[in-house]
Amino acid sequence: MQGEILIIGVNHRAAPVEVREQVAFNGSLEHSLRNLLSVPSIEEGVILSTCNRVEVVAIAEDGDNAVDSLTDFLAQGEQLPRRQLVEHLSVYRGREAVRHLFRVAASLDSMVVGEPQILGQLKDSYQAATSVGTAGTILHRCFHKSFSVAKRIRTETAVAGGAVSVSSAAVELACKIFDRLEDKNAMLVGAGEMGELAARHLVAQGIGSILVTNRTFDRAVELARDLGGTPVPFEELRRYLQMADVVIGATAAEEYIITSSVVQETLRQRKFRPMFFIDLSVPRNLDPAINDLDNVYLYDVDDLGGVAEDNRSERSREAEKAESIIEEEVDTFWKWLVNLEAVPTIVALRDKVETIRKGELEKTLNSLRDASPETRAAIEAMTAAIANKILHSPITHLKHHDRQEAAFYAAAARKLFDIEEPEDS
Amino acid sequence: MLLLALGCYLLATSTLVSHIITTNDLMRRIAHALLSAAFLIHGLHLGERALTLGYDAIATFPDELSCIAFIMVGLYLSLAWRGNLTVVGGLVTPLAFLFTLSSYVFAVGPPELSPRLQSVWLPAHVAPAFLGYAVFAVAFCMSLIYLLQENQLKAKRKGNLFRRLPSLETLDNLNFRFVTWGFALFTIGIISGALLALKIWGALWSWEPVEVLSAVTWMLYAGLLHARTIGWRGRKAATLTILGFVAVILSFLGVNLVFPGKHGGTFG
Repeated sequence: MQGEILIIGVNHRAAPVEVREQVAFNGSLEHSLRNLLSVPSIEEGVILSTCNRVEVVAIAEDGDNAVDSLTDFLAQGEQLPRRQLVEHLSVYRGREAVRHLFRVAASLDSMVVGEPQILGQLKDSYQAATSVGTAGTILHRCFHKSFSVAKRIRTETAVAGGAVSVSSAAVELACKIFDRLEDKNAMLVGAGEMGELAARHLVAQGIGSILVTNRTFDRAVELARDLGGTPVPFEELRRYLQMADVVIGATAAEEYIITSSVVQETLRQRKFRPMFFIDLSVPRNLDPAINDLDNVYLYDVDDLGGVAEDNRSERSREAEKAESIIEEEVDTFWKWLVNLEAVPTIVALRDKVETIRKGELEKTLNSLRDASPETRAAIEAMTAAIANKILHSPITHLKHHDRQEAAFYAAAARKLFDIEEPEDS
Repeated sequence: MLLLALGCYLLATSTLVSHIITTNDLMRRIAHALLSAAFLIHGLHLGERALTLGYDAIATFPDELSCIAFIMVGLYLSLAWRGNLTVVGGLVTPLAFLFTLSSYVFAVGPPELSPRLQSVWLPAHVAPAFLGYAVFAVAFCMSLIYLLQENQLKAKRKGNLFRRLPSLETLDNLNFRFVTWGFALFTIGIISGALLALKIWGALWSWEPVEVLSAVTWMLYAGLLHARTIGWRGRKAATLTILGFVAVILSFLGVNLVFPGKHGGTFG
């Protein structure tokens, strides 16, 4: 039996950040990868180290030993006592490990399900291992497969769809109202933290320009410079409001800063071009009645939170679809792996039988000198058919889906047919 | 041949709907391929009829429906590259299927067109009118989607279709463009129709039911376009577009089924 796949490490599900940060590979990854190969019984290895997980994916000759020695490897050089590490350690072996890798790649195991960064991090880790040369046949195949599984899940399910934070939900909604943001103007009323975050999202999505106003003008100037926008004196808010397609209200004021009647007037000046109001302040700064006006949409923090929540539950619904894709792909991979292991034995078995058949056939044909070519052909065909029929059932067993079983049958076949142990490839 | 086109329309409708439900991109591509095939076959069918029947090919109500369905699909396909309008296609395609189906079911033999009508004035009247109707039909579909999207945004409830819906601005801009073009074509259709009437009946206007209903429809769309200049955009514009198309349908059915007059059958 070839090496066993295992993944061992700490992740955000089982280990608190205090543990994860102590295990994290901070130094040169190349160096750590070389060290990894010197761990007893490890044949191939990839190290994945992000802020949410530190995991070693390895192929080990002896799984049980490897779990032990890899635990030491993870604890190595750190102040973390081994006992404490073991408490938070996650170990996946065999099929479980393949499933785990696929789930990580598809961002199903992420803190925020569907977040896109993990796939890139996984690719980087694999790249590093490839350049150092610590990834072999099995890990190459396993990682490539995990990338394609991730892609498949991304296109076939909406597991990464929909904004899941308040400010990204605001941008998502803006894109449902406006065709494109490049030719739109935004206005940020209040230079607090929440407003700034939402404004940054809009700027990142390419909003055409942004006006910043604040009761303390200096702060508006400062933030405007930061965002690449234009500061506007707070007293002039009404005058500039008509330029804004997106208005973010985020002041600490106790009363409505923009009332419905002001918006009504503004709309007339704007020839009723649509406006999107985002109220991020508590208590609210924007009159809720604004939402009743035509061509105007007002969302407050709760509304946006609701949208984000809807998206989160949609993602988890989609995650179920994704899990069944994972199962399917793990199956395919596992069949490949078992086949890969069975192939040397099967080839040796076929060779052996074929040699016997050829030898006996020759002897028989030599003694049947008078036989017509048709008879010879018939005998030849018959021997081939007998050999194939006899081999059919053993080969099926050798391809058994359970690796343990398959390994057992392989050993038995070698013994029964007196086949030599295949060279380690 | 028309049956084959009908089959493709039906398949395109179901794949498009399944794309809208599952967001599977392969489905979208299959649907658009099917729809393009249907469009081509339908076009061949219409072309063949025009060659064999001449002016008679566009004289009856079913012919009109068939032509309008064909143009609607062409209009949608010309927009489909934008990618986010599949929901509009999800309305246009079944509507085109229904129109084509009824044109097939209610097909009548070619009418004995009065020789006086056998002139280039007939297509000159009919072509812009058909085009205008088809453009109005697509604008109607867009307006329905607009209202759906607008309702969800106002109510702050995301329906199941939310992710597939194009932005309000996209829909409103397209609606404006379509209604403008539809109105221009419709106007040309009315003017050339009046000239045709002058030629064969000796009067520009003879209070035919279709003339009256068309005038009402024309005024509705004119009102809509005017209202836009004073800021009636968005929901109001969408509602008016829908009303306008209801008027189109009423005049259609009214003329052809309820009080046929000269347009509906004999054109005597």
